[in-house]
Amino acid sequence: MVKLTMIARITDGLPLAEGLDDGRDLKDADFYKQQAKLLFKNLSKGQHESSRLSIETGPYYFHYIIESRVCYLTMCDRSYPKKLAFQYLEDLKNEFERVNGNQIETAARPYAFIKFDTFIQKTRKLYLDTRTQRNLAKLNDELYEVHQIMTRNVQEVLGVGEKLDQVSQMSSRLTSDTRMYADKAKDLNRQES
Amino acid sequence: MRPSAGNERPPGRPVSGFVPGFAAGAPPPAAGASPFGAAAPLARPGGPAGPFAPPTQQQGPPVAQAAASPRGPFGAAPPAAMGGYRGPPPPQGSFGAGPPPPGPFSAAPPPQGPFGMAPPAQGPFGAAPPPSQGPFGATTPPSQGPIGAAPPPQGPFSATPTQGPFGATRPPQGPFGAVPSSQGPFGTAPPPFRPPPSALLQPQSPTGNTMPSPTYVRPPPVQSQPQPVQGYYPGGPNPQFPPSRPSFQQPMQNMPPPSMGPPSSYSNQPAYPTTGPPMGTLQTLVEDFQSLSVSSAPGSLDPGVDVNGLPRPLYGDEEPAKVLEAFPLNCHPRYFRLTTHTIPASQSLVSRWHLPLGAVVHPLAEAPDGEEVPVVNFGSAGVIRCRRCRTYINPYATFADAGRKWRCNLCTLLNDVPGEYFCALDASGRRFDADQRPELSKGTVEFVAPTEYMVRPPMPPSYFFLIDVSVSAVRSGLLEVVAKTIKSCLDDLLGFPRTQIGFLTFDSTLHFHNFKSSLSQPQMMVVADLDDVFLPLPDDLLVNLVDSRHVVESFLDNLPNMFQDNVNVESALGPALKAAFMVMGQIGGKLLVFQSTLPSLGIGRLRLRGDDVRAYGTDKEHILRIPEDPFYKQMAAEFTKNQIAVDIFSLSDKYCDIASLGSLAKYTGGQVYHYPSFQATTHGEKLKHELSRDLTRETAWESVMRIRCGKGVRFTTYHGHFMLRSTDLLALPAVDSDKAFAMQLSLEETLMTTQTVYFQVALLYTSSSGERRIRVHTAAAPVVTDLGEMYRQADTGAIVSVLARIAVENSLSDKLDSVRQQLQLKLVKSLKEYRNLYVVQHRIGGRLIYPESLRYLPLYILALCKSLALRGGYADVSLDERCAAGFSIMILPARRLLNFIYPSLYRLDEVLTVEPDMIDGALKRLPLTLQCLDTAGLYLLDDGFTFLVWLGRMLQPELMNDILGVSLSNFPDLSKDSVERM
Repeated sequence: MVKLTMIARITDGLPLAEGLDDGRDLKDADFYKQQAKLLFKNLSKGQHESSRLSIETGPYYFHYIIESRVCYLTMCDRSYPKKLAFQYLEDLKNEFERVNGNQIETAARPYAFIKFDTFIQKTRKLYLDTRTQRNLAKLNDELYEVHQIMTRNVQEVLGVGEKLDQVSQMSSRLTSDTRMYADKAKDLNRQES
Repeated sequence: MRPSAGNERPPGRPVSGFVPGFAAGAPPPAAGASPFGAAAPLARPGGPAGPFAPPTQQQGPPVAQAAASPRGPFGAAPPAAMGGYRGPPPPQGSFGAGPPPPGPFSAAPPPQGPFGMAPPAQGPFGAAPPPSQGPFGATTPPSQGPIGAAPPPQGPFSATPTQGPFGATRPPQGPFGAVPSSQGPFGTAPPPFRPPPSALLQPQSPTGNTMPSPTYVRPPPVQSQPQPVQGYYPGGPNPQFPPSRPSFQQPMQNMPPPSMGPPSSYSNQPAYPTTGPPMGTLQTLVEDFQSLSVSSAPGSLDPGVDVNGLPRPLYGDEEPAKVLEAFPLNCHPRYFRLTTHTIPASQSLVSRWHLPLGAVVHPLAEAPDGEEVPVVNFGSAGVIRCRRCRTYINPYATFADAGRKWRCNLCTLLNDVPGEYFCALDASGRRFDADQRPELSKGTVEFVAPTEYMVRPPMPPSYFFLIDVSVSAVRSGLLEVVAKTIKSCLDDLLGFPRTQIGFLTFDSTLHFHNFKSSLSQPQMMVVADLDDVFLPLPDDLLVNLVDSRHVVESFLDNLPNMFQDNVNVESALGPALKAAFMVMGQIGGKLLVFQSTLPSLGIGRLRLRGDDVRAYGTDKEHILRIPEDPFYKQMAAEFTKNQIAVDIFSLSDKYCDIASLGSLAKYTGGQVYHYPSFQATTHGEKLKHELSRDLTRETAWESVMRIRCGKGVRFTTYHGHFMLRSTDLLALPAVDSDKAFAMQLSLEETLMTTQTVYFQVALLYTSSSGERRIRVHTAAAPVVTDLGEMYRQADTGAIVSVLARIAVENSLSDKLDSVRQQLQLKLVKSLKEYRNLYVVQHRIGGRLIYPESLRYLPLYILALCKSLALRGGYADVSLDERCAAGFSIMILPARRLLNFIYPSLYRLDEVLTVEPDMIDGALKRLPLTLQCLDTAGLYLLDDGFTFLVWLGRMLQPELMNDILGVSLSNFPDLSKDSVERM
């Protein structure tokens, strides 16, 4: 079942739209929303390896797709078919691009496309029950393949940023140290000569 | 005076038996039924009429008549008044019930109490010198002679009976009913004079005479003598006044304490405790003021007051626009007004400024067309604010260090300018781009709030209706009006296409309605478990209006029929509120409650708290005006936490404890609408208008507001409808252009060291279109060391707003009387202080002077004391109306508040008889005095809530016929009818 839905621009992590009354029956909604925002922040730093990814967090999965610099993210129960989740995101993506496609780059304020929430709301309802005829058909649809989509753990994903930061820190320290060493070496050489 | 007279008299008069008898016999309509009890209610409606009636009487019938003949009662009694009103259009109904107009309007008794009667008031204004009495006193005796010839006891007697009943309630009557006869000769005399004369010495006179004086006196609360700058403020018709008072007391003392008065007569007593001797400090003030005179030559017949020359606020509120000249970078005064646009430099100055020091904030005031609040988006720089005090950048901030730093004008901290926002400075230290940036050149701007200012995505505007469908709602036609109005507003609801809407109806059970968009008809689900409310459906109780439009419409079409045959008398409001909370809790929005009976089932049920006469004037008086059940306040706290604002529409024909229900609105930024004895035919239009305004006016959602101010001053208390979160953050689930807030300031330091103090109002809200914005108003005010300057910069509208709110709040913990006294005391003290400042300079000896800026203040304070919320006592205003008016006063912006307490009066018949194309569209506003009313005229009184149409007795029959479609001759006498309904 779909718990959260968020759409953000990945160039700067600006949230564009979010599902209405998401998290009504979710105890830690705020916690997971925070995680989702962190994810966006990481993405905006350019740290994403693929345009489709599933990330496990606690009892849930984040699924996201990135298309034309917009990230569509949803959070579902572990038991919810991955295939359906991605189909759901595809639906959102198609509609969002159709309606707002040309304004995405120019949006200057958060939630500039909040009106999209009614569509999210409606679509979400279609995907709530995995056993409707419609959803079963989608599940059986072989055309949409989700097997190669990787699954990561949220700590890993969020950790990647930290590690990279550490590495870049270390490397910059290395550079400055090297420079110091070179200078000193030069000095010594001069003294010797 | 009046009140006291009423009270005292009955007792004073030996004739306990007599009084009732008389009353019953004489004034059939009013007193007849229940001598006194009836009189009181009548009095209200008649209030306005009272004053008018007198003229009629003069014309004809002597005293005796008044008492005996139908006419007599007429003039004197409220019924008569009704006659005058007769044929009133729909508005009237409400009118009758709602006495608002009358109060301020004429010399209605209750109001008088405070001013006229109140000793303090008199003191100040009534400086009337004893001499004045002389003339009158002299005259009086003769007049009384004829009648008064009778043994002294009698004289008073005859007068008393009539007055007794009415005396208390109906002042006008007293004067006329009783007096006329005695005063035969005087009848012709100009009204102003008449009343006062008698008062003086004799026991007898008190009855007849005293009464009148108040009546007339009153009108000229503020008198002006043509003085350019400082008007003289000859208190009211002093001469008349003072006399009456002394006379009064005397009689009282002399009288044997009769057991007398029927209970009803007593009822009024509590109402007017004011008459009693003033309290300590007041006493001295009063004495001081009594030494001031208004009349030029004490002792002469010259009243010394030109009533027509008194300053009257015929142009409504005056915004202190000159502030903008001195501080062009300030926000417009429509958004922010100080009670005096100065800040006193020292504590000692504050203590000499006896009026409140504070501000009125109207954050979403409607700007005139074409004037829009500029919107600023800082983008990646983020909103520029002071690091320490969080002040937003504004035109008064200064830049330093070649533009790399800016100094906060509130706390003087030097902040860094973000790189993206940098701009070089010109030679004078001003940024080159200052004129292009609204935040650096305008006092009012809106910032686009970045994500940090949101705890969740902007909410969609949502409306949830909680509709009582018990039998009284069905019978009064409430359902039909509500359903039709909502349906007609569907297109205009805010926030298309995200608008959410839902309905819940209830009587002894809760009815949920499923508006799923795939349904063709709504489904109703009944939940009867009131102790443990649950939602029968997880979704579709609050739905998107666009998707479910057809279902909602079909629901609204059927609503009136659905409960047509409902005979359920119960009302489970408490559980219904809980259910509504469960439905709306996630989103928030507006909750509109339509309640037509006292909540009787489940949690939050209320009982009939008798509005007891005996409670008035005691320490328990205020208890009826505060919520009984803490449930409502707790519920309100929950609602606010979840961004739900509650508007209460109370449409009961009986008591429904607005004091308790209102607390829902009070703490959620909502509003209370009250329609006493609602009938769709009469009040339908009003309800329709107010409901559609409520649904379609621009609204700011899930908002919080904070006011910051510079060093040395601090906002201490806030007055209005909101929930205070932390010490200075006002939580406002919804706020709109009809709501204003007041607050009081205090100095934190004994001496102000700065030259200027800055204020900044910031409202963070979600607009209906789903944008998160911060609206910022910035203003500066100079620090002064001169009290005179404070008076010059005083803003009457703001002062009245703050005073009114304080008074209403005080009335929740104190007697109405003392509340009125406090108001007067403040006024008197401030005028006295002013006088001390200038009396020498102007050599005005015994005259009262007042500052130009406050020339209307005394009149407004009088009007405030006469307003529905504060007027009189038990019988003058029903408890619910009083509370509802109090709630209104707490939110009204200054301009509307002034119009509410001092309504606009227009003469219509002259316009109506003109060719349509000759009308220039501008009606002339008239002063609210008796002299302005012509019995051949047709008048419209507008207090912003109700229209009152006053048909003069001598109005041309054709005109009457055209307007009402009824000719006067065969027009049924509605007076009694409507009185009963009231």
